[in-house]
Parts: sequence; structure tokens; C-alpha cells
Amino acid sequence: MNAPLLGLAGVGKDYAKIESRGGRLRLVWDLLRGRGAASVFRALDGVSFELRRGQSLGVIGENGAGKSTLLKIIAGVIQPTRGTVEVNGRVGALLELGSGFHPEYTGLANIDLAAALLGIAPAEIASRRDEIIAFADLGEHIHDPIKTYSSGMVVRLGFAVATALDPEILITDEVLAVGDESFQKKCVAWMERYLEGGGTLLLCSHSMYHVQKLCAHALWLKDGKVAGYGQAAPVTQEYLAYHEEKTAARREPLPKAELMSARIYAIEHFTLSPEATMDMGGDLVLSGEVHSPDGRMPVVLVGVVRADGTPVYGVATDMDGISLARVAEDRYAFEIVLPSIPLLPGKYEIRAHALDPEGVRLFHTVARPLVVTGVTREMGFVRLPHRWGGGRSDRLPEPR
Amino acid sequence: MTETLERAAPAAAPAALASDAARRHRALFANFFRRELTTRYLGSISGLAWALLHPLALLGVYHFVFTTVFRTGRFGDASFLLFVAVALWPWLAAQEALQRATVSIPGYGGLIRKVAFPHELVVYASVAASLVLQFAGYVLVLIVLAVAGEPVHFVGLLLAVPLWLVMAVAVTGIALLLAALQVFIRDVEHILMPVLMILMYVTPILYPLTLVPAGMRPWVAANPFGWLVERMRDALIAGRPALEWGDAVAVLVAAALFAAGLAVFRRLSPHFEDFV
Repeated sequence: MNAPLLGLAGVGKDYAKIESRGGRLRLVWDLLRGRGAASVFRALDGVSFELRRGQSLGVIGENGAGKSTLLKIIAGVIQPTRGTVEVNGRVGALLELGSGFHPEYTGLANIDLAAALLGIAPAEIASRRDEIIAFADLGEHIHDPIKTYSSGMVVRLGFAVATALDPEILITDEVLAVGDESFQKKCVAWMERYLEGGGTLLLCSHSMYHVQKLCAHALWLKDGKVAGYGQAAPVTQEYLAYHEEKTAARREPLPKAELMSARIYAIEHFTLSPEATMDMGGDLVLSGEVHSPDGRMPVVLVGVVRADGTPVYGVATDMDGISLARVAEDRYAFEIVLPSIPLLPGKYEIRAHALDPEGVRLFHTVARPLVVTGVTREMGFVRLPHRWGGGRSDRLPEPR
Repeated sequence: MTETLERAAPAAAPAALASDAARRHRALFANFFRRELTTRYLGSISGLAWALLHPLALLGVYHFVFTTVFRTGRFGDASFLLFVAVALWPWLAAQEALQRATVSIPGYGGLIRKVAFPHELVVYASVAASLVLQFAGYVLVLIVLAVAGEPVHFVGLLLAVPLWLVMAVAVTGIALLLAALQVFIRDVEHILMPVLMILMYVTPILYPLTLVPAGMRPWVAANPFGWLVERMRDALIAGRPALEWGDAVAVLVAAALFAAGLAVFRRLSPHFEDFV
């Protein structure tokens, strides 16, 4: 099958803005005449991408960036104001909590309603129902009205229903965050199986971990526009870097406009090797370039912090008296090797900072997540070189 | 081998998508319809029995008011009670259908925001539930009146049932218009109440058209619902279920109302998601 499973071309969605009491009347009048609303908020603009069978996409972005709007358009819940959406497959959508459940109905009755909504023939429901009940694993609560459920229970039922249809595209909107640990594992396991079986996933999540684990591609939405699209790893990293810059901009007295302009020392193409994950004791190479607007050689500071922000180690080029290699009139390259890294297994962040040539002012920070893997019972976060003395090292002295 | 074939079948079925959609819409309508019937009586102990108890209680009250207190005269062989009942129930049915359907969309807000389906099914289900219940009450009232010795001509149902269907089409059209407007303009339901009240009194339901002063009669007669009421009386009291040219006009008017209502509804319904 050559046609893409999903194709979006220049998709945009405007929401009407109602400013006054009479605004609603005016809006209805405008809509009836076949015109758009006079005053609109652009929730989504110019989104284009294609999804082929088995190609999963993670949609990332800040709150209010248009992720849910995009998923709703793909699920057919809303019509785009501009552009075209082509869907060539069965879509199963799980949008927010309690997708389309009626609170007064029991879990069972809601399964029937959901089945009717999904177009499952009544004869088929009977066999699917047991499957759904088993997956949701709600016990006797399946006979209680949904309004008595906790949010986690609603998600369990919702996920069970959405997946029972064998959708060709499964759309989920930040639902993994609600279920308990074991249900999350069950969902992730189900999704992995689903992906292995050729299923296509459209996942909207704030968890870069889930996006990287489940999706090969990622789409970054920013203010309703596509800010990044491609392989999951670089897009999610860019997105994280953007957040880092944003918080840095807030920390620094530096105005944002100045940071955005090319007139500062800035880190570019910062990469880790290995990327994102490494074994304890392996070699880590950090490399990148630093932009220098005035052509002078900036100072580069690299550091390792724990995921919670605790600094582990940091070193700058001026401390070691290192000169950077000039690769262009306004840029220098840097590379640093951290051989047989002594970090204990866990989550870390590797940062690179650009400082002025005097090594006084910090201009720019880029961070990359790094997971160090390995099995050890040692504590802390760095393995210090050590040697035990005064006795045998393999067991405790025998009591006498 | 069989497994491969079975797996391939659903993928190769885009041609059947249209009938698939129709099947899905029927199943959804049935689900909504049941939901409308049950939620109206959900929580009441006797459940659907209220649907039948209510018209009988109403009939009792009218009997008390018109026969016992006002001591109204007779219209031919029919009592005033029968004269009113034949016209009043279709009116009550239309009124309830319009009032409920007007506010029906917000009740499905959770679905509308999250699932793709044709929103008009909500209005259809709401109108259908009202009319089906009221029609059952109507038949019950006619039976009770017939048992009480009133000259009810049941052969008239041959015309009365199609008349109800014509009314259903027209009411659905108006309900679609009102329900769509209500989503954006909350005043619609508040305006509807007094408008229906006024309409009821200018329609010859509680009085015969012949009592209206001759000068005003054409205005009162121009009311489409007045026409419907007169036809109901022709059919069930006079026992003349014959078709007239006016019936064809009524069918056309009802179809036009439905088409107009649906057109407005479809214009506005893509924007419901943002307002429910």
C-alpha cells in the first residue's frame, strides 16, 4: 500500500474569539453566511506531515502549543479551518480523560456506547467485551457508574476500549501519565507489541522518555506551528535545549531578544557520543561548535549534573589552558573526551556553556540528557578510586 | 492461510466504508435513543411507567377542569374533553420535543469534544424519544376516552399516524435549528418557553376555529399547527381519514423545514466542540 496512512497538508485551525455579549450573535451570523469568525485565535497553522504504516510519531510541545487540537483534527473530532487531512485507516483515539464516557452509565454500558461510537457491530461487541473487561482489570467496579471511578480507573477503561478495535492508527493524548505504575507498564508493553505488529502510534506526551521509547519520529509544535520534525532523538533534544534556553533566559538578566540575535557567544551542534545512553565505565565524547560574533575565541565550560540538578563536575577551556580550533571566521570547534566515565548508573544531564573570552560572563547553555546504565550496589553518583586495607577483602572476619 | 485472508479482508474494504458509516450511525442513534429514554426516567422507581401515568393524570385534570368545573358543552357527539385531547397531545408532544431537543447538545458535550460522530444524531434521538413516548400516551388517552364512551374513531389513526410523522419531520427541522443556535446563544431556551406558550393559545387547541371572529379567522387558520390539529379532529372524531390536497402541501412544508434546519445545523455543528 503506497498511500500514506495519514497525510496532513497545511493544516490550520482557528478558534473564534468572543469579545463582547453580541459577539456570539455575530459569530453565528458569520458562520451561517459561510464566512469564518471575524476575530480568531490561531490554534494551529501550516502543519504538514505524512505518516506511513508502522511509522510512529510523538507530538511534543508546551502546554497550549496545539497538540490536542492537532490530535482532535486527526481523530476527526474537529474540522480544520485550512488545509487537508487524509486518513486511510481505522483510527482509535483516546483523547484526554474519560474519552466519550457517560458518567451515569456503568462501565459495561459505556463499553457498549464506545463500541457503537467506534462502529463495532452489536454481534461483535459480545466477544470484544470480555477482552476489554480483562484488559481494564477493574473487577466488580465494571458494574458501577463511571462517575464513581477514580481518574486512573477511567483511563484503564478508556485504554482498554481504544485498543480493542485493533486500530491502524492509535492516537493517545497524555494518558500514560494517569494510570498507576503497573498499568503504565501494561500500556507501554501493549504499545510495543502493537508497534512490533505493524501498528502506528500517534502519541502526545510531555515525557521525552516515552516519546523516545515508543516513537521513531517526533513533531515539535510551538505556538501552533511546527518547530521541529524528524527523528525522535534530535527533535526531543532540541526541544529540551529550547526549554533549557528558556529557563536560562529567565535566570540571566540578558534580554531574550539579545539572546536570540546572533550577537552572543552560543553553543551549536552540541553532541554526545554515545548519544543519550551509555554503560558505566565507557568513554564519553562531547563535541560541538561555539559561535563567536566578534571572532574572538570564547571559553567553553562543560559539566555533568545529576537529573535533579546537583553538579557533579565541571571544567572550562581556560582552566586547562586549552585553545579552541577555529573552523570559520565566527566559529570554533571543541571536543572533550571523558575516558572510562566513573558515573554510577542513573540519569544525568551533560551541559555545555559558552562564556566570553575572559571567562567571566555566561552567555549560552545547552544540555543533553544522559542515562548511564550498569548494575552495581555502590551508592552516591561517582565511583571514587578506592582500596580496602587491613584484612581480607572477600568476606567478614569470622567471629571467634 | 485462512488467517492471512481474514486479516486482509478489513484492509481491502474501503468501498464498504459508506455502508459501514450508515451502520455505525444507526447503531449510535439506537444507543442515544435508549439513553434518552432511560435518562429521562433514570432514578425514578417506576421507570417508564411514568411515561404512561403522566398522560392519564393530565387527562384526569382536564376532565376535572372542563367537564366538572366549566361544564363545557358538546361538539356534536364528542365531549369537549375529547375535542381538546385529540389536539392537545400532539401539541404537548411537539412542545416537549422542541424544549428537550433545544438543550440536548450540551448533554453530549463530553462526546462531542472527544469523539467524531454526526452531531445531528443527538437531536434526532432527543426528538424521537419525546415523540415516541408522547405518541404512546396519546394512544392510551384515546383508548381510555373510547372506553369511557366517547366516539373515538380508531380508523382515523390511518391518517393520524402519517400526520404525526409529518409533524415529526417538521419538529425535527425546527429542533435542529434551535439546538444549533442554543449552543452559541444560551437565550434560545428562555425565549422558546413564552413563544411556545403564546403559540399554544393562538392555535385552535382549546377552542374551535369557528368561535374565532371571522375577521381574524384567516390569521389563526394560517398557523400550520392549527391545520394539523384540524386534520387530527377530522380523522379521529369525525372518522374521515381521507387525504386532501392540503396534506401534500404539509408534507412539502415539513420537508422544507427539515432541510432548512439541517442546513443550519450542519453549518454550525463543526464549531460545537469549542462551545459545548
